[in-house]
Amino acid sequence: MNTSEKNVTLNTNNSSQVPGSHLTRDALFELEQKEKTTAQKALDWFISLCPLLCCGIALMEYILIPDKYANKNPERYAVLLLIPAAVYLIFWIRAFLLYRKGKRQYFRDIRHRAPLYSVIYLLLTALDSLTLKTGLLLYPFIPWVNDIINAAILDWPMLLKSTVFTLRLLFLGYFGGVLAGLITGVACGYSRRIRYWIDPVIKVLGPIPTATWIPLIMLLATSLLAGSVFIVGLGTWFAVTVATMTGISNVDQSFYEAAKTLGTSERQLIFRIAIPYAMPSILQGMTQGMSSACISLMIAEMVGVEAGLGWYITWAKAWAAYNKMFAAIVVICIVFNFVTRVLDLVKGRILRWQIGVVK
Amino acid sequence: MADNLTLNINHVSKSFARIEKDDITNALADVDLHFHSKEFVSLVGTSGCGKSTILRLIAGLITPTSGSLDISGTPITKPGPDRGMVFQKPTLFPWLTVKKNVEFSLKMQNRLNGNEELVDRMLRLIHLEAFKDDYPGQLSGGMAQRVALVRSLISNPEILLMDEPLGALDAFTRMAMQDEILDIWQKSRQLVVMVTHDIDEAIYMGTKVVIMDANPGRIRAEIPIELTYPRNRSSSLFVEYRNQILEMMELGVKE
Repeated sequence: MNTSEKNVTLNTNNSSQVPGSHLTRDALFELEQKEKTTAQKALDWFISLCPLLCCGIALMEYILIPDKYANKNPERYAVLLLIPAAVYLIFWIRAFLLYRKGKRQYFRDIRHRAPLYSVIYLLLTALDSLTLKTGLLLYPFIPWVNDIINAAILDWPMLLKSTVFTLRLLFLGYFGGVLAGLITGVACGYSRRIRYWIDPVIKVLGPIPTATWIPLIMLLATSLLAGSVFIVGLGTWFAVTVATMTGISNVDQSFYEAAKTLGTSERQLIFRIAIPYAMPSILQGMTQGMSSACISLMIAEMVGVEAGLGWYITWAKAWAAYNKMFAAIVVICIVFNFVTRVLDLVKGRILRWQIGVVK
Repeated sequence: MADNLTLNINHVSKSFARIEKDDITNALADVDLHFHSKEFVSLVGTSGCGKSTILRLIAGLITPTSGSLDISGTPITKPGPDRGMVFQKPTLFPWLTVKKNVEFSLKMQNRLNGNEELVDRMLRLIHLEAFKDDYPGQLSGGMAQRVALVRSLISNPEILLMDEPLGALDAFTRMAMQDEILDIWQKSRQLVVMVTHDIDEAIYMGTKVVIMDANPGRIRAEIPIELTYPRNRSSSLFVEYRNQILEMMELGVKE
């Protein structure tokens, strides 16, 4: 009896002592963190400045060590090294000012990214010393960065044309494949009869890589563009069909029932219940379809289609223009990264409702 | 029309084929019930006695094996918004905001234009205006079930079917929501048929308690509850009703 009474008073005391709602999320985070020692704090600041330091190392290495090969327009690589460092410095100053105002989130962010950026600068330094400075990596097969920049700037009209061609093919093929995949996927997921006929097609043809069809399609297609669009779209169609079908046949029956008692027509069941429910799965299929489209695109361009970045790479290699080849690879990297980023953004936007639902 | 409809369940039997081994076979045998608007019917009985089957038959989600169902002579053939249904799980569409969930029924029938005010009124009715732009994933169980309730009510159904609507809620939320539902029913006066496991809830809310037996599901008794609202759970009459019903159900178990 006595102890329970004691407990009660203790509890009320506690509740009145709990810091109130004046705490911000940032302050709460600080409160829950272990207090860092002065040495740890100093180390954090040092690490946050490391990217600038490593940029300096890369520059010194590039400027001070004598070149083994002739290097035209040497300032271009130096500028390329300096621009990210300058941007980083601006963000660092901002984080520093906000830190002094008590907002430490930005500094934590910068501190988190700093090691990665530093390593990138160090890798660039290593590459430069292994190629331009010593020739340890066999020139001309692996060129130094400034050489690649020079090649890209020299041949930019051709690179741009190839990029535009590749993007056009990618989008035509990809969206064609997505559209076709959505139609067959929804039809198969919703109607057992259609599924009966489409399922065997998917089971038999599904495991065959799309690239297998390239010679045949190049032979049969009425135009080069139509053929290559088909090749790029095929893999996407497959991925989106399977994902959509799975998503729609997994719809929780209770959603259909609830919707029916709310006066939903058969058509509305598909568009208002089945498709939204299957959306996460469909988008998953679209992401898979994108990587499949990129792969078949590159193969198609290297094998049959006489244009685009894939073709540019084989062409440059044939002429032993390795610096151009690397320039094209960098462009491909940038383009595909960008496309995937956009897709992720769209995905995040559409699936906003999943926040807190999916663990 | 909604003021004096009769829901007729005429000698209905229902059998289910087992599809998977973990599927429950629910069966009804010769169920004959007749309800009128302004009634609040509580269906109680042991699990597996076909309470939910009756609701699903009324909703038109399934069809009877024999017998027929009609509303004042019009046969029930398919689901419709004139018979709103609230399930044990809220079944809110997770990809729609609270507001979009509430207006779903109107939108499906192209009646949303001009009825925006009604949507707001429904949200006010359940005190969730502040959450109208949130997604159902962020709601608590009680909040979600309240949204599910008004989602069905917005089409102004003549019959409201509730399948253990409060079964998944904690005791406090449950009691509060019993009063909320009664409040709404007393204003709208439609026919409510509610399935419940909780005998206290059945007596507290219903104008009539229907007791069912299992294997096969059939009606044991219909007991009109002649108490005025709001009811007192500890009044002697209430306790008497409870004892009467418990006694009947215990007899059912012994047989």
